[in-house]
Amino acid sequence: MIVSNDSTDAALFVKVSREDVVKWDRKSIVEALLRETTISPELAEKISKEVEETIIKSKIKFITAPLIREVVNGKLIEYGLEEERKQHTRLGLPIYDVDQMLISRNRENANVPHGPEATNLTLAESIKKQYALLKIFPPEIAVAHEKGDFHLHDLGMIDRPYCSGNSLEYVKKFGLSLPNAISISKPAKHPEVLIGQMIKFSAALQGNFAGAIGWDAVNLFFAPYLVGVDNEKLEQLAQMLIFEFAQQSVARGGQSIFSDLNIYWEIPKHFIGVPAIGPGGKFTGNNYEDYIEESQKFAIALFKVYKEGDGLGRPFFFPKPQVHITERLFKTEGYEDFLYLISDVSSDKGNTYYVFDRGETAKISECCRLSFKLEKSDFEDAKTPWKMRYSAMQNVTLNLPRVAYEAGGSDERLFEIITERMELMARAHVYKRNFIKKLLDMKNQGPLSLLSMNRDGEPYYRLHRATFLFGMVGLNELVQYHTGEEMHESNQALKFGLRVIAFMKKEAERLGEKYGLRFVLEQTPAESTAYRMAKLDLEHYRDEALTVVKGIVEKNEIYYTNSTYLNVGVPLSPIERVKKEGMFHPLIEAGSLSHIWIGEARPDPGGIASFVVKTFKNTQNDQIAFSPEFTSCLDCGRTTRGL
Amino acid sequence: MQIKGFIDTTFLDWDGKVACTVFTPGCNLRCPFCHNHGLVLNPEQYEDVKEEEIFDFLTKHNDFIDGVCITGGEPTLQKGLDKFCERVKKLGIKIKLDTNGTNPTVVRRLLEKDLVDYIAMDIKAPLNEEQYSEVSGVRCEVDKIRESVNLIKNSGVEYEFRTTVVPSLHTFRDIEQISRDIKGAKLYVLQKFQPRFAMDRGLRNSRVLSDDDMKKLVKIISCNVDKAFFRGK
Repeated sequence: MIVSNDSTDAALFVKVSREDVVKWDRKSIVEALLRETTISPELAEKISKEVEETIIKSKIKFITAPLIREVVNGKLIEYGLEEERKQHTRLGLPIYDVDQMLISRNRENANVPHGPEATNLTLAESIKKQYALLKIFPPEIAVAHEKGDFHLHDLGMIDRPYCSGNSLEYVKKFGLSLPNAISISKPAKHPEVLIGQMIKFSAALQGNFAGAIGWDAVNLFFAPYLVGVDNEKLEQLAQMLIFEFAQQSVARGGQSIFSDLNIYWEIPKHFIGVPAIGPGGKFTGNNYEDYIEESQKFAIALFKVYKEGDGLGRPFFFPKPQVHITERLFKTEGYEDFLYLISDVSSDKGNTYYVFDRGETAKISECCRLSFKLEKSDFEDAKTPWKMRYSAMQNVTLNLPRVAYEAGGSDERLFEIITERMELMARAHVYKRNFIKKLLDMKNQGPLSLLSMNRDGEPYYRLHRATFLFGMVGLNELVQYHTGEEMHESNQALKFGLRVIAFMKKEAERLGEKYGLRFVLEQTPAESTAYRMAKLDLEHYRDEALTVVKGIVEKNEIYYTNSTYLNVGVPLSPIERVKKEGMFHPLIEAGSLSHIWIGEARPDPGGIASFVVKTFKNTQNDQIAFSPEFTSCLDCGRTTRGL
Repeated sequence: MQIKGFIDTTFLDWDGKVACTVFTPGCNLRCPFCHNHGLVLNPEQYEDVKEEEIFDFLTKHNDFIDGVCITGGEPTLQKGLDKFCERVKKLGIKIKLDTNGTNPTVVRRLLEKDLVDYIAMDIKAPLNEEQYSEVSGVRCEVDKIRESVNLIKNSGVEYEFRTTVVPSLHTFRDIEQISRDIKGAKLYVLQKFQPRFAMDRGLRNSRVLSDDDMKKLVKIISCNVDKAFFRGK
């Protein structure tokens, strides 16, 4: 603000945002209104005079610029200038909230530790969230999110895409050469250096993606660096890789990198005949199938590390090992022992995720429940594996129980509402895409310079390959409210659930064509969303919600069942669970998962291996993981092992 | 067959297999360390599980279930045991029998009819009348135990002998003696005693053997049997 000439009281001082204290100047109000809003100059003058009168009349000696702005906003409301008021909004937080935040724990994300970095993240996210809801999305979408019709995930990270699948080949070929970095590395010659580059790059990527950073065929891509490496060294390298990932909680917001390592026992079909890249980023002259021995040895070494756990013998939460179970695995020598080893890790630590790639499909699994089916164009990519970079742009989750409440028992109305909601969700995807595209188009000068770097004829982030996700929460409660039975209670109820998801899939495809984007369903990994939706429905649809909500209402420990899961509280045979939940999985292209709780005792690895093989052969289930006894706090969404 | 409990899916009771476990009531022994004593002393407190319920599950899921473990109590006391086993076998599902070996006649009959695929037989103590009776809480005919041991050893089906090692009932020498009594067995498994669930309240506070103790014991018995290991946390 500039010192005023015509101010009647020169003694009033204003504390401004650029850390200065200046004298009162009414013109600053006019300037701001004209700069930021579409108001007429005459009205701006008028409003500024009225504001001045109010403030001067109060005889205060000191005022902050944000407060003046709010007083101006008050005037804009008096004049009915809603749009101008919105344009003139100031984003921020009450001091009480900040105080709470700095001192208490983040309740939304179990992976966020409490510390200065963590509160930085929370504060930044809360501002960006407000920005997204006011500026990126139109009011009808923002309101639908706020009311809880659906949930726009990662609004606090509005300026990044959701998650990514990456290829180590990119790092091997191009080294670590990030835009605007103060130093760059050439392609690694040694496996230790490659590990270092992979982890630095992961950390950099985590700064550009809200969700998981997945790595495909890690053991295979490391293999050309491991020729002639003895077992002791191999295990040390495996330790380096896992510990370095696991201990990256010094990164953004004090969080671990949400990392996945995809592991294959066999050489995946799409990498056979593909020239291998080795030390120095050069082609070795061999194909990937020539490195099966090193690839398998490294896979074993990695799982030995998972088996041992961290320095206290506890499981590693990240990076998650995702083993692909394929027809080829069963034709590859030594698979029985490998299955036993990874099942032993399941039994002891719970880490292993079993990803089932049946028939000719192959998937690159990313965050805990996200996988992509390799399509024809992906097989083309596989010939140049450094190009195998995939991403989901955004995830929006539909609150299914509310749909049932509003439908009031009518099938017709139920499907109509789903269509209405998904139309709005699709539009939310378009807005997010356009915003990210705007940032990407600024290339090296923009905030997403890392994602727009171009080393191989394409930007790192391949926008045309991005996927957009439709998640769902509480299918079980929708079915329960609508049909009177939960999905585990009768075949009819289960069938109705399947009908709803099949309908959502069809709608996603229709909308995808309409908007020219790749829309697919995903099982939302959304414990906190399941809580948020249940809470909002208990407020706004109390009578209806009370009949189906899970948990303890009196203690406010409530939730809806995640995505398309069957009620997690009922004792259901693991066999029933993988079969029935698996029926939904072919409809949910971006990945799904069944959790098998294995309780307190340490089950026999051979039994687990047998169960895995049968799930592959006899069900449609997409992915399973075994969880030892754990404790979940419904209050804060935090999940910990043990009781 | 009378059934008092059914676990529809377990990875615990039969190594390498996805299995179900059925529990039969009643037992002719009174081992003070028994952890299923409810089934032994007051089986009427548990509701009967209908055979049909079990066979519904097995029929529906025999694409997953490798085997059914029959345990107790003491299953060989059950009248309908053969029939139950026949029905299970018809579904292509294997059977594991847990027994205390006091009924060699039943064991022989099941083996002859090819109704069991795995037998796990408890050896409570060294095979002499006095010690066996003390540890199993009733007067025991050790000849019958010995007969079952020989039957099982020569049966051609997979098997294990096993002993729950209770520090106040067994010395290291006793365990060594048992391994001599079953000399040449393919597999001898030692199980850690879980005092918390013992029938005899007096045993509930007794000490638990360490993993190192168990490893020592495994080493001691290893020279008398083909394979040995221990179970339990």
